[in-house]
This record gives sequence, C-alpha cells and structure tokens, in this order.
Amino acid sequence: MRNRYSIAIRNPFSSLVLCAGLVLVIPTQAQQSPTNQDQINQQLLERVRELEEEVSQLKSATSSAAPAPAPAPAVVPEAPAADEVPVVNEVAPRLHLNVFGDGGYGFYSHVPNSFDFGSLDLFMTAQLSHQVSALGEILFISQNDNSVGVDVERLFLRYRQSDYFTASLGRYHTWVGYYNTAFNKGEFLETTTDRPFVYAFDDSGGVLPMQEVGLNITGQIPSGKLGLNYVVEVGNGRAYGLNAEPAQNNQDANNSKSINGGLFMRPDAIPGLQLGFSLRHDNLTVPGPPVAETIATVHAVFVNSNYEILNEGVLVRHVEPNGPVFTTSAFYDQFSRRFGAFRPYFRYQYFNAPSNDPVYLYASPNEDVPLNITGFVGRLNGPSVGIRYDFTEHSALKLQYDRFSFRGLPSENGLTSQVAFMF
Amino acid sequence: MKKNTTIAPLLFVMAFVAFAIVLWLTTSGYPVAAAGDPIVVIVNAANPIDNLSVVELKKLFLSDRSRWDTGKAVAPVILTTGAPERTAFLKIVCNMNDADLGKYFLQAAFSGKSATPPKEVGSAAAVKSFVAGSAGAIGFVKGSDFHGDASDGSIKAVKVDGNASGDAGYKIRM
Repeated sequence: MRNRYSIAIRNPFSSLVLCAGLVLVIPTQAQQSPTNQDQINQQLLERVRELEEEVSQLKSATSSAAPAPAPAPAVVPEAPAADEVPVVNEVAPRLHLNVFGDGGYGFYSHVPNSFDFGSLDLFMTAQLSHQVSALGEILFISQNDNSVGVDVERLFLRYRQSDYFTASLGRYHTWVGYYNTAFNKGEFLETTTDRPFVYAFDDSGGVLPMQEVGLNITGQIPSGKLGLNYVVEVGNGRAYGLNAEPAQNNQDANNSKSINGGLFMRPDAIPGLQLGFSLRHDNLTVPGPPVAETIATVHAVFVNSNYEILNEGVLVRHVEPNGPVFTTSAFYDQFSRRFGAFRPYFRYQYFNAPSNDPVYLYASPNEDVPLNITGFVGRLNGPSVGIRYDFTEHSALKLQYDRFSFRGLPSENGLTSQVAFMF
Repeated sequence: MKKNTTIAPLLFVMAFVAFAIVLWLTTSGYPVAAAGDPIVVIVNAANPIDNLSVVELKKLFLSDRSRWDTGKAVAPVILTTGAPERTAFLKIVCNMNDADLGKYFLQAAFSGKSATPPKEVGSAAAVKSFVAGSAGAIGFVKGSDFHGDASDGSIKAVKVDGNASGDAGYKIRM
C-alpha cells in the first residue's frame, strides 16, 4: 500500500510546484547576497535543468507504468426481495394448503373386484406467530356402503415455547406407536397401499385409539447425543360400540381421562434411527362391565432417503373388575429400499386378539380387513410384497400383493393397485 | 391357538435381530466426505457461535432445533433447487436430495411436528443479505462467494467440526 510520502515524490506535478517555489525564492536570495550573483545564477540554472530532467523522467515513467487500480466499488445493499422465492402451497400470508388424494383398483378372493375412490384429504397449517400455529385436516373418504363420509380428522392449536415444550390442544392423532403419527392419513406419504392392520384407523374399525380430543405435550429432553424426546397426552379416550364415533369429540362417556406417555430417542451417531415406546391407560365404558385398558407399544425404525425399516410391537390388556385379563398382541415389520423412482417393499404383520375380548366384541366393523367380516377378533398374519413407483415428485403408483391367514377362516389372497398424489 | 402365541414373540425377536443387522449394513460408511470446493457456513456477525458439528447443522436446517443458545430464533436460509452448493450441502449434511427435503417437511407438518422449512432465496448475495439482516439466521455459500471482508456484510463464517473452510479436514465441499 502506498504512503503519502512516496506519492508526493513520484508525482511530476509536485516537482513542478517545487520548481515554481524555487523561482520565487531566487530574487530574495539575490538581494541578500549580491557579491556572488553570477555564481548563484549559474547554480540556479543548473538546478533548474536538473529538475526539468527529473520531471521529464517522471513523466515517461508514469506513462509507461500500468494504470492505477480503480477504487473498490462501493458496497451496494442487496435487494433480497428480487431473489426471494414464493413459498409452495402458500395460499394466503399465513395459510398453507396441501391436498392429498388416492384411488385404485383391488380384488380379493371373497369380495367383488372394485375401483376405489380412496380419500380426499385437505390439510391446512397456519403459523399465527413465531410460537403459535394451527393445524386443520378435513377428510372425505369413501365408505363400504359407497357413501362419502366427511370427517374433521384433526384440528388443534399449538404453542411451541421452546424445543423442550410444545403443547397442542384439540383433536389430534395419538402417539400410540410410531406409525400413527408418522403417516396419519394421506397415502402418498406411505410406502404401502394401506396401514398395518394393528394401526387401522379406529373409525374404520381399527382396534387402537388413533384419534383423540385432548391435550398433547411433547418436546426434547436435554440428553446430548442421545436425542431423547418425550410425549404426554391427556384426553377423552376412545368410545367403543357399534356405530359409535371413536373420538369423543364433545362428551366423554365417563370422568376418567386417558393418559398416554412415551419416550423415544434419535441418537446422533446413527441418523435416521429412532427407538421408542409408549404406555397408555384408559377406563372404558362399554355395554358390559367397565374395562381398564392398557396399551404398550415399542418401536425401532430406521428411515433415510434410501432405506425404510419399520418394526413395531403392540400389547393391549383389557381387564374387567375382578375379572379375567384379555391380551391382544400384534407386530409388523416392514422393509423397503429405494432404487431411483422405484421402491420395492416387504411387510409381515401379525395380529392376535382373544375371541371373547369384551371390548372388540363391540367395536365397529373393520373396513380394512380384506375379508368382509365385522367385529373382527382372532388371528391375522401374513406377508405383503409390493412396489412403489414415484412417476413424479408428487404422485406415485403402488402395486401390492397380500396373503393373509386367519384363525378358523380360509386364507386370503389380494392384489391392490393405488395411485396416490398430492398438490 | 397356543402354538401361535408361542411363535409371535419369537418372530418379533427375529425381526429385531434382522433389523440390527440391516441397520449395521446400511449405516456403514458415515459420514460422507467430499473433496471439492468448500461450502462456507455463515451466520450473522452478532451470533457468538464459532463452531458447529455436522449433526448440529442438520438439526438447524431441519428445524429440530429452533433457538440458539442466545435465545434468538434460528432462521435457516437456503438457495433454490438446482444450485450445486445446495445439492452438495443437503447430501453431506442431511443425507437428502431436493425431493427428500420437500418430503421431510411435508411429512413433518403432516405428522403434527412444529417444523419450518428453510427460507429459499435465489442467489448467494441474497443468502448473505438475509443472514446479515437477521440475528438468528444461518446459511451457506460457495467459498468463492464468501470474501471474508466488509463486502460480505455483517456475516461471519463458522467452523464445522472444528475445521475452517480452508482446512484440509473440512467436510462440506462441493
């Protein structure tokens, strides 16, 4: 970097100024020393010639040198607005809307082959402030009687105080196991064409309480690289009975509230791994004696962009006062691997409920059972294999073969296809 | 009936053993190391953070962590789809591609999780401008887009796993 001194010496115009100064000084000095006038004049003329030569040298040096670098341009403030990208699915400043749909064709041994409308799912979220948000989900789903039912699947207001405490109040999907909160409705997000039997929705005849009205609290537990999280839920619980709405939206059948708690970990060391369990208790009001229900689940899942490995086990205990204990056990294992747009998968599931269970005897018909039977209890187990093809980023085609064995009933083969999409 | 109840736990245990084996096979090879031009992680100059791990970066960009230690809200910003530094960053830090990222936040929202996707902007200059203008912002730019002087605005680079972007051990590269 140049300093002021070097700039002054090398500037030819500065030298000229010096010469002019000398010329102005000459008369003064001549008046002060008249005896050596000729000698002084000669010296001054020589000095002028020297200076003129120096000036000419500096001029030539300056013209041959590279031009001085231009001053750095001033930093102009960016205009980020021009670079901002519109947010996908933002239909209003606060509202995001996603629509899920699915349909397909399937045939099983004991029911007529049919095209299936599937469902239309309107999923809405809104960020009301940095800490408060809302979620709503309205579902239009085809029924076994060919009608289309409308269901407010979820509606809750959520307050996120920090990563360690988030509370939601309203109707939500219970944290019973992994599958119910990871996939919910919206078949596009699921790898398979349907949910595991044990996680069938309760309003479709599933055995577990999948939806509830109440309070849900969740958050992280300071645990470093273990990545521990907790979930606590308090709600009205599930109603059982033919044609009963499982989620008690407005009036609980009793004063007892369901309590559900869960812990899960996502260790930093293995991204994609989640291990967890949940424990839920409720007192059920059923046509017979009241029943205490305890549901325990455990899961080990590993999900990344290529692999999906899901393992879950469920144990349900129904206890009558001073009466017998009825235990239902179930599990499923699912493995899939992505190859580009294709994702083949395999699932094995097992479900076994006592035939005389005092609760399931009064459950609504299960629409997800391949056989057209109602109030299913007993054993169901068997494999499913299939392939999912994502032909666009937001639409997928699935083809799945099932073979189920039942206790006391003939085995069932089924082939289903499904187109699932979102926009 | 008794035979079935005996087989069920055995099948379940076998499934978990198989799960452990497959998990071991599928996770071998982490973390992914790259060897191209560095991608510089930047935060607001007022942010006291100087170093982040790859795991912490993933949590910040995937909304698993919503606040800095200072209490400021985390505001990640990312370039739009197609930018090579975005593709490389997602692959190395999040083990995702663009479609995976979209699906992740869609599924997170659908599952009721409070997750906000990163703000998307169209240029490295806009990334720097956003980070300079928001105390809790975090973003990333190519090394050639980060000058380390006043022309970048009020931003600074942070180390990743203890390495600066110029170090040989720096993992996030294109």
